[in-house]
Amino acid sequence: MTNFLFGRYLPGNSWIHQMSPQSKLLLSFYFVIVIFFANNLVSYGVLALLIIVVILLSGVSITFFLKGIRPLIWLIIFTVGLQILFSSGGTILWQWGPFSITNLSLINGGFIFIRFLLIIMISTVLTLTTTPLAIADGVQTILKPLKRVHFPVDTLALMLSIALRFVPTLMDEMETILNAQRSRGVDFGSGSLTHRVKAAVPLLVPLFTGAINHAENLSTAMEARGFTDSEHRSKYRIYRWQLKDTLSWIVFLVAGGLVLYLRK
Amino acid sequence: MPKKNNTLRLNLLAMFIAIIILQTSIPLIGYIPIGPLSITIIPATVVIATVLLGTVDGAIIGGVWGVITFIRAYIWPTSPLATIVFVNPIVSVFPRIMIGLVAGWAYMALQKRIKRQSLSVSIAAILGSLTNTILVLGLIYVFYKAKAPQLYQINMEKLLPYLIGVVGTNGIPEAIFSGVVTPLIAVPLSRVIKRRT
Repeated sequence: MTNFLFGRYLPGNSWIHQMSPQSKLLLSFYFVIVIFFANNLVSYGVLALLIIVVILLSGVSITFFLKGIRPLIWLIIFTVGLQILFSSGGTILWQWGPFSITNLSLINGGFIFIRFLLIIMISTVLTLTTTPLAIADGVQTILKPLKRVHFPVDTLALMLSIALRFVPTLMDEMETILNAQRSRGVDFGSGSLTHRVKAAVPLLVPLFTGAINHAENLSTAMEARGFTDSEHRSKYRIYRWQLKDTLSWIVFLVAGGLVLYLRK
Repeated sequence: MPKKNNTLRLNLLAMFIAIIILQTSIPLIGYIPIGPLSITIIPATVVIATVLLGTVDGAIIGGVWGVITFIRAYIWPTSPLATIVFVNPIVSVFPRIMIGLVAGWAYMALQKRIKRQSLSVSIAAILGSLTNTILVLGLIYVFYKAKAPQLYQINMEKLLPYLIGVVGTNGIPEAIFSGVVTPLIAVPLSRVIKRRT
């Protein structure tokens, strides 16, 4: 379960760790958008340089990033392959039926590969340096303008943080259920469709029942502590916009401008 | 689910979101690989949420699944298909919200006519699962037939039959799976919930 999207947080005290979660989230979005504007070697180079600086600033060992890519490598290769075989334009180097390789498609394939790496890197930086709860908090801050149209932002953020809090708990419970069923001789890995369906049901019913129990206990506990609604809730940690956020934004905006200037 | 207890509803929704997050990241409880296909169990989860908590909450859970699919299509794609198809929020989010709505409406309508709860849950689950497949297929067709996606400069004319083939062959076993499994899970759970509230 090590390649899990959430809960990969590594504690630290680096520049990136200290930034507020809302600006980290927004910067990641911004970075992904800028990536799609880059279309030549120089503009991708600017972004690659930026991400290297970000990784160095995060103070996290580079092996964690390489580990993050490993489970995705086949997918990336497949997508790049698809891109190379199915795109059109340029001089044709090789052709077989509907497949063709052109010089343009090879170049595009290379760019898609870099694009994948960059997006995975920025999202890995985000999840390695930000706790799930901080991410939920950042989402709440970002969505605050939606309150004007009576969108229940606070309720959503509370739900999200409870959900993220209980993901590891439910995962542990699932492990227990799996082992319990295995010890009774259930084989999950193989068999026909009906066999697998039969194996899935005794996994899911206890998992859901456990989740309902948690929901019930938690709501009793919350009400006992005087919870009435999620709008007038106070916070234990308050993330404020800092000088570090402003400086990071300036660097990212300059890089974005450079990409727009350097692209073909 | 009556609206009398707001805190419980909030927590139940949170637990369902947690289960969806788990199911999108762990095989075995999220999707069952069968040969080259992988059947996802998540539509069944959305229908279970609909049956237990109501149509609106089912749609919310479906929407959460859609948003997770949408974000993961960029940063942590589950399949090569996702990187092409689910980067469009309309293709990834809208059909999933509709699972909850269609299943909820079907379940409400059927409940009045059919006495056996398991049968109406089963039909609602099949309809919900098919809604997902048909809408995703239809939207892929509408969006990518009209213009090439800007994201990847792929020649969609050639790729379209492949895409539709993959989604279609996944869709039918998925619908059967949902129809069989959902009542098996939802009926005992609705008894658990009734006992508690």
